[in-house]
Amino acid sequence: MDQSSNQQQPAAGNGMANVRFGVYNQPGNIAGKSVKDAREQFSRLWGIPQDAVAYKGKDKLDENYVIQPGDNVEFHRRAGEKG
Amino acid sequence: MTSTKRFVVIGAGGIGTWLIAGLARMLEWKLPGSALIIVDGDNYEEKNKERQDFVKLGNKASVKANELTPQFPSTTIIPVPKWVVSDEDTGVSAGDDAPRIKASQLIREDDVVFAVVDNFAARKILFDAASKLNNIDVFTGGNDDLLFGSVYHYQKKDGIEVTEHPVSFHPEYENPPDKNPGELSCQERSKLEGGTQLLATNMAVASFILGRVHKTIVLGQSPDETEIYFDLGLGKAEPYNRKVSQVSQPVMI
Repeated sequence: MDQSSNQQQPAAGNGMANVRFGVYNQPGNIAGKSVKDAREQFSRLWGIPQDAVAYKGKDKLDENYVIQPGDNVEFHRRAGEKG
Repeated sequence: MTSTKRFVVIGAGGIGTWLIAGLARMLEWKLPGSALIIVDGDNYEEKNKERQDFVKLGNKASVKANELTPQFPSTTIIPVPKWVVSDEDTGVSAGDDAPRIKASQLIREDDVVFAVVDNFAARKILFDAASKLNNIDVFTGGNDDLLFGSVYHYQKKDGIEVTEHPVSFHPEYENPPDKNPGELSCQERSKLEGGTQLLATNMAVASFILGRVHKTIVLGQSPDETEIYFDLGLGKAEPYNRKVSQVSQPVMI
């Protein structure tokens, strides 16, 4: 069994899912909402760009995807470029 | 755990100089007998001193190798004063004789590679070459202006990807928005800007990478914290598990 030390698993079945963007990671009562709705809710807090693609695992999510309880939805944050 | 691995650092600039300083010490005392290969076609200039650690002007790879060799006798330090280019590179302009090395000629099986360059195009070249090998570790890191940065660890063992190729999460690796300096002419390279980077962020990227090396290479533990984002201004860091076994969850629509 894979031992993930860092992937918060929100409790399924109570409307909770996880939203992540860069350094931000927050469980929220967003199951049942669309990706578009979640983006609007969290973009004000975290500055998520309008064109940031949403992922679940490595699968890209459509804007109309309905977030399921227990989902980890990640909005793409560009990696650091300079060095 | 072999103690004779090759550690190949591509880029001896804002992140690379601090990474090399720590890595040389780590190899000398934790993995004696290792080779530290420093690759960079660029030169140190006075203006680099604000963020970069060097004692002489000149080619970055050669200056660092000459500086470190007497300090770390149990580590073989090899300079490669060349720009890393793709296998398809044929040279960009007549008269530009900047030394180049193809990524596939530079890295080989069992290497630990550090892509600490300042552009996605060169990182893509290195990841593309690494993904064709069976056993490889590639660490990369970068920062944006000011206080944000990230690091990523790509690992492949016995022909199987342990962590996902970063292109799975980062389209900037598939279609880089920038250019590899090694595939530009001298005139084009001279126009490149380093941006308004901060010393603290460069050093933090190097430190996060060293932490991953200690955990996954020195101690041989699993690369669960495959990607880490940090923001020094917010005082936050967030790890992401990009192991293949972790991210392969079906999406129910």
